[in-house]
Amino acid sequence: MFTLLQASDWTYFFGRFHPVLVHLPIGFLLVAALLEVGKRLGKITLSDSVITFILFWSAVGASMACVAGYLLSLGGGYEEELLSAHQWQGIGVAVFAWIAWILKSEIISKGAVVYLPALALATILTFTAGHDGGSLTHGDGYLTQYTPEAFRSLAGIPPRTEETKELKPIANINEAVVYKDIVQPILEMRCVQCHNANKQKGGLRMDGMAMLAKGGENGPVFISGKGLESVMIKRCLLPESDDDHMPPKGKPQLSESQVALLTWWIDQGAPADKKVSDLKVTEQIKPALALLTSGTTGGSGGSSESAVLSLKVAVPAEKSVDAIKKVGLLVMPIAHDKNLVQVSAVNAPGFGDGQSGLLTSLSDQIVWLKLGHTKITDGGLKELAKLKNLNKLHLEYTGVTDAGLNDLKNLQYLEYLNLVGTKITDAGLKILAASKSLKNVYIWKSAVTENGILEAKKLRPDLNIVSGFNEARVAEFLKAGDTLKTEEKPKSTK
Amino acid sequence: MEKLLKELQHADLHNQTRRHFLQSAGFGLGALGLGSLLGSCGSSNAGTGVAAEAMDAKIPQFAPKAKRVIYIHMAGAPSQLELFDYKPELEKYHGKDCPAEFLEGKKFAFIQGVPKMLGPQGKFNQYGQSGAWMSDYIPYLQTVADEITFIKSMHTDQFNHAPAQLLLHTGSARLGRPSLGAWSVYGLGSENQNLPGFIVLASGGRQPDAGKSVYGSGFLPSVYQGVQCRTGGDPVLYVTDPNGMNRNMRKQTIEAINEINKQTYDDVKDPEILTRISQYEMAFRMQMSVPEVMDVSKEPQFILDMYGVKPGEGTFAMNCLLARKLVENDVRFVQLFDWGWDGHGTTAGDNVEGGLRNKCRLSDKPVAALIQDLKMRGLLDETLIIWGAEFGRTPMQENRNGVVMPFMGRDHHLEAFTMWMAGGGVKKGYSHGETDELGYYGVKDRVHVHDLQATILHLMGFDHEKFTYPFQGRNFRLTDTEGKVVKNIIA
Repeated sequence: MFTLLQASDWTYFFGRFHPVLVHLPIGFLLVAALLEVGKRLGKITLSDSVITFILFWSAVGASMACVAGYLLSLGGGYEEELLSAHQWQGIGVAVFAWIAWILKSEIISKGAVVYLPALALATILTFTAGHDGGSLTHGDGYLTQYTPEAFRSLAGIPPRTEETKELKPIANINEAVVYKDIVQPILEMRCVQCHNANKQKGGLRMDGMAMLAKGGENGPVFISGKGLESVMIKRCLLPESDDDHMPPKGKPQLSESQVALLTWWIDQGAPADKKVSDLKVTEQIKPALALLTSGTTGGSGGSSESAVLSLKVAVPAEKSVDAIKKVGLLVMPIAHDKNLVQVSAVNAPGFGDGQSGLLTSLSDQIVWLKLGHTKITDGGLKELAKLKNLNKLHLEYTGVTDAGLNDLKNLQYLEYLNLVGTKITDAGLKILAASKSLKNVYIWKSAVTENGILEAKKLRPDLNIVSGFNEARVAEFLKAGDTLKTEEKPKSTK
Repeated sequence: MEKLLKELQHADLHNQTRRHFLQSAGFGLGALGLGSLLGSCGSSNAGTGVAAEAMDAKIPQFAPKAKRVIYIHMAGAPSQLELFDYKPELEKYHGKDCPAEFLEGKKFAFIQGVPKMLGPQGKFNQYGQSGAWMSDYIPYLQTVADEITFIKSMHTDQFNHAPAQLLLHTGSARLGRPSLGAWSVYGLGSENQNLPGFIVLASGGRQPDAGKSVYGSGFLPSVYQGVQCRTGGDPVLYVTDPNGMNRNMRKQTIEAINEINKQTYDDVKDPEILTRISQYEMAFRMQMSVPEVMDVSKEPQFILDMYGVKPGEGTFAMNCLLARKLVENDVRFVQLFDWGWDGHGTTAGDNVEGGLRNKCRLSDKPVAALIQDLKMRGLLDETLIIWGAEFGRTPMQENRNGVVMPFMGRDHHLEAFTMWMAGGGVKKGYSHGETDELGYYGVKDRVHVHDLQATILHLMGFDHEKFTYPFQGRNFRLTDTEGKVVKNIIA
């Protein structure tokens, strides 16, 4: 962009009047165009001099807005391409407004045919220049950000994406380049939306190392080697209600471990190309680094949460939910922000195989299923096997047997299986040991023997097989209190 | 928003004066005629629908780790220095004058002047793979050490029983706020439609000092208050039908009463009427379900032995067994109170040696049995057990009125005490926080009772800062303006 003037306080002072001035020609031109249309359609009668008068001031206003806009642009901080488009469209508005005025006022008698196209062009350019101006100030997509879903498809705007971008898991954390693989993805996820080439809140760009190092209008955002004294960390640590807190209130926030990672990176001198193994990995940062390998953000969910709970599934069909509710089962989402559901037969002890087919209509959504103390048997398990995202399954005190378990072993998310009080035997436990996902299986009061548990443990050492107390083990447990046989008499201190 | 509208509507109805009534009476007479013409078009169970809604299972804010809670409150406050918080250094100071720095600017419930330090009375050792410190007061709990997360750096603001209990359970030391259990059922409802969502069982011969407010519903609709059950004899009095009244007739009676109540509700829109309607319905269902769930006679003998329960007794041990049976039936929140832990050293019963040992003897086995029992039934990973009291006890020996007490006793202490949790999403075999060498202050990772409340709500699927109820023009929450989730103890 060419520079005509040296930037000074005066240029900025007048420049800031651009948003004030710019609305005058917008309004004036529209009024002129409307009057012209109204007059030509015969709806109104008015003298041409009125329109001429308005056009004159439109042209004056547009010209002043152009000058002020140029002065404002000298301050920088705008995306060049968009700014250039806006500038030329603005100049176009002024030029065509002048042409329209000259022709309307009949200063030049020839070329009256050009009048209408000139007016139309000026009006159209007002819209495009206005829109680009808005985008420069508020950021791209500001206008349509809150378009209701129904209109989005009509207008061809992509559906609003949820703000739940996840960090991609890092396979080999020691080989990861700290800035490129850890720091920048975190910034991309939470900061870059407002600090990028298009939109530079506080004059700051965070979409690259060079820009980050440059800092914003309030100076540098980090002090190499001093994480906690760096502005970008300080702002994250302020209470969310504080005006200076970043990301701003209401936006998705950085998790504690993410802040810890950024702090650690700055503490280590904010290197652009060092790997994790090149830096000093402190005890404190280890858990945060470990989280990166699992792909979780370490947010409110915590690290131990099952992968299945982050699955995105469709909203459960109301008809299916109603049908399941009708047989007395409890059906509800596991949380407000999730479509995954839990189903419980706590109020429906009569539930049996005949009804279990109903559940398959929610085969994507059901993750927690409680069918303990019901009449379900192996026949019903065939249907349950279709619930591919099943995570916790209660079958305690039901008629299921070893044969039914064959259907369950392939459920890839099944982690909890309660078989207390069933006829499961050692053979059944062996079948379950083949499941890759299963973590806890409960077999108290089943036909599984101590030996069967040992055998299953050989196949799956990490499987937690919980048996329980019988008479003998209770007797052993009671021995713990042998020291307490006699009632103690406190000795008086007097 | 919906709640705000309801409150507005409610307030509006309050403002209806006699004049309004007379004004509308004219139309009312006409409407009466119309009403009789239209007959009973209205749905007959509309009222019950609204009432039942209050207790319907509800969706948490995020996926919960604990679906049920058993909160064991040792009312009076046992000494952490005899049970969990091992302070060998305190032994060395036994009988010496308390350092001035512990007393300057401090207030105690009873200690006056300069008290003597009191060494730990229990024999401590480390137990389990996690090496948790426990004393010989609690040999059974030692066997489940690896299931437990200890918080050794608890602290509170109140050093008297009633306000401290209120602060712990309702988030405020003053009366009028809903309790933790009430918030839980308000937020989550009850999965079992035949049992109350929030049940209270008390033992030890006395109710907690703060009375029923510690399990009250405060400004929440009273349907959310804790339902206290008797533990000996009939769990709920008059729950059986009298002679000559069959179940069907009882049903019709209650339906008729509810229909009248429903009409009153339509007139005055007082939500308490809905509570009454749902309580009648609940009572009707409880006639069947409560005797069944509270009946321990069908439990095998070895389970009774494990808890140390004899059928018919209203002991703490019985309450632990009942708590298991209740959570087994998906009761959301079971609150246990056991009175008699206030070891000042004034009598042979209330001190930190024999008296505390005896209380432990009555409660240690059933608590350990409860953990084992829930575990083998596959219930522990979704049931959060919380054990603790309203405050702790001083490292100094109490010297009420400046005289040495007849028995070893400790005064109320708000700066440091121990609580523990097990199951429902907390770490296994973990200890959080530390106190100084003499067990006076928490010096690392202090946890205020508001932090504890925030953490419990978090485990149940709620952000304590966003879990609110509008009352008197502002949104209230359990933790009021404080509380921070203790992330380190979450598994």
